[in-house]
Amino acid sequence: MSLGRKLACAALVLVMSASAAANWLAPAGYSKQYREATNAPPSHTHWLGTDEIGRDRFARVLYGTRISLLLAPAAALLSTLMAAFFGGLAGYLGGAWARTAMAVTDLFLSLPWLFLLIAARALMPLNVSPLISVLVTFLLLGLLGWTTAARVLCTTAASLRTSDFVRQARAAGLTGQRLFWMHVVPNLKPVLYAQFWISIPVFILSEANLGILGLGVAEPMPSWGSLLKELEGLVSVGEEPWKFAPLILLAVVVTSFQLLLSKQEEAA
Amino acid sequence: MAFKNSQEKTLLSAHISVRYADKPVLRAVQLKIQCGEVLGLVGQSGSGKSTLAMAILGLLEKKRTHTEGNIRFQDSELLQLSERELRALRGRAIALVLQSPLSSLNPALKIRTQLKEAWRAHASGTSEECMTAIRACMASVSLPSDDEFLRKYPSQMSVGQAQRVLIAMAVMHRPALLIADEATSALDVITQSEILALFRHLNRSTGMAILYISHDLASVAGICDRIAILHQGEIVECGTTEQIFTNPGHNYTQRLMAAIPRVLSAGANPQRKSEAAAAR
Repeated sequence: MSLGRKLACAALVLVMSASAAANWLAPAGYSKQYREATNAPPSHTHWLGTDEIGRDRFARVLYGTRISLLLAPAAALLSTLMAAFFGGLAGYLGGAWARTAMAVTDLFLSLPWLFLLIAARALMPLNVSPLISVLVTFLLLGLLGWTTAARVLCTTAASLRTSDFVRQARAAGLTGQRLFWMHVVPNLKPVLYAQFWISIPVFILSEANLGILGLGVAEPMPSWGSLLKELEGLVSVGEEPWKFAPLILLAVVVTSFQLLLSKQEEAA
Repeated sequence: MAFKNSQEKTLLSAHISVRYADKPVLRAVQLKIQCGEVLGLVGQSGSGKSTLAMAILGLLEKKRTHTEGNIRFQDSELLQLSERELRALRGRAIALVLQSPLSSLNPALKIRTQLKEAWRAHASGTSEECMTAIRACMASVSLPSDDEFLRKYPSQMSVGQAQRVLIAMAVMHRPALLIADEATSALDVITQSEILALFRHLNRSTGMAILYISHDLASVAGICDRIAILHQGEIVECGTTEQIFTNPGHNYTQRLMAAIPRVLSAGANPQRKSEAAAAR
């Protein structure tokens, strides 16, 4: 493993461990307000200072990291399963099924991903509870983000359909269903794993984009997107550099994923 | 011979033409396979050998191909059967062994899983019954049937072992007809002779007829009772192995026989003789 990958791995382990230990590292929670110390600079009690209503920024970054790092893989899992089902099945069935699936994915891909995401989210009610907002963001990312992976899986499944081992299994008398589940799906696994891991950083960034626009996870629940919203009114970088902590964390995590995933992308 | 009487009965009788779009691949091919015999189907690449095999198994893509005629197998007219009825025959009454053993086995599944799938396609029973059948099959093709071997993936086996596993899967339900489509073409000569001996053994011990498709005349001569010569989609000659090799009638068969490489001594080979003289 190269030095870059080792560092990326260490960074991800550190960030994930810290977010998992948020309850222990920041026992007061992400929503507790210290009204006597609003907009406070970093101190030994508030390591990254407080926000404009006195919430501890370090606690919010930890909990926000937890939500973003749970939400993105969950959405990636949903989108990968959808891609496997629609893309894999269409590729395996071939003919009109494959052509229809390709047409649908082309339609999705012709629309800019972020525009589609924002438009779809804006169509839904914004005044919802934090938990519902997490669920909506997860479903949106998962339900809209499967098309690229579906194309890859459709092509892979189509080549598997004409492979020697599928022909041999068909000649052994296996039914279409058994052929799909026993002979096609296991051979899609490497592509599915690759698509799953590649989707995670994409969904982290997408959630951050939605959050910045106020369309992501609702207050008071933090996520990297909602934490980055704080940078909207920032005039000078040098004045309050600690406010950049979520942005730096986001950059580190996404870069680490990209470093670790270079081989997965080759497999896909 | 134990199955001499059964050889007199026709197992399969085909009279078919196949077209891919407007291109004829098989032209009124007539073929008969007797019970328990080994029939060789010889022809160069692209002559339609595999198309004939796929047509018998009902595995030609119906949208891309047009098949006319009839294929009578035992008491069934194969071209009239539904997909469900054909599936019930595939693997149970007619089995297939393909050319490349390593690509014909699923690389993502253990051998045991693939053998179980082949068994469950036409049988039901307990896991123990399934494993008993698998072990018997493995023994019939001279492969170990211990758990360590059955846990292997195709990539962990030699080509010869993989081909034997394929044959084990094919003969699991004691089919009446085994179609070996270039089944020894990808093997080295020693493995090839072992697999040919295995085919011959299975043919003699179970009475299973074999349609042995190949372009390798030496292997055909070693195993087949009769040989049919396929040229540009037509059967141009069909006869006993001895007849085809000693007294070929058709031009194409004569060219095939003439193309068999012969080992000559330097004295008997004019080219080698002149090369040897030049070297001196």
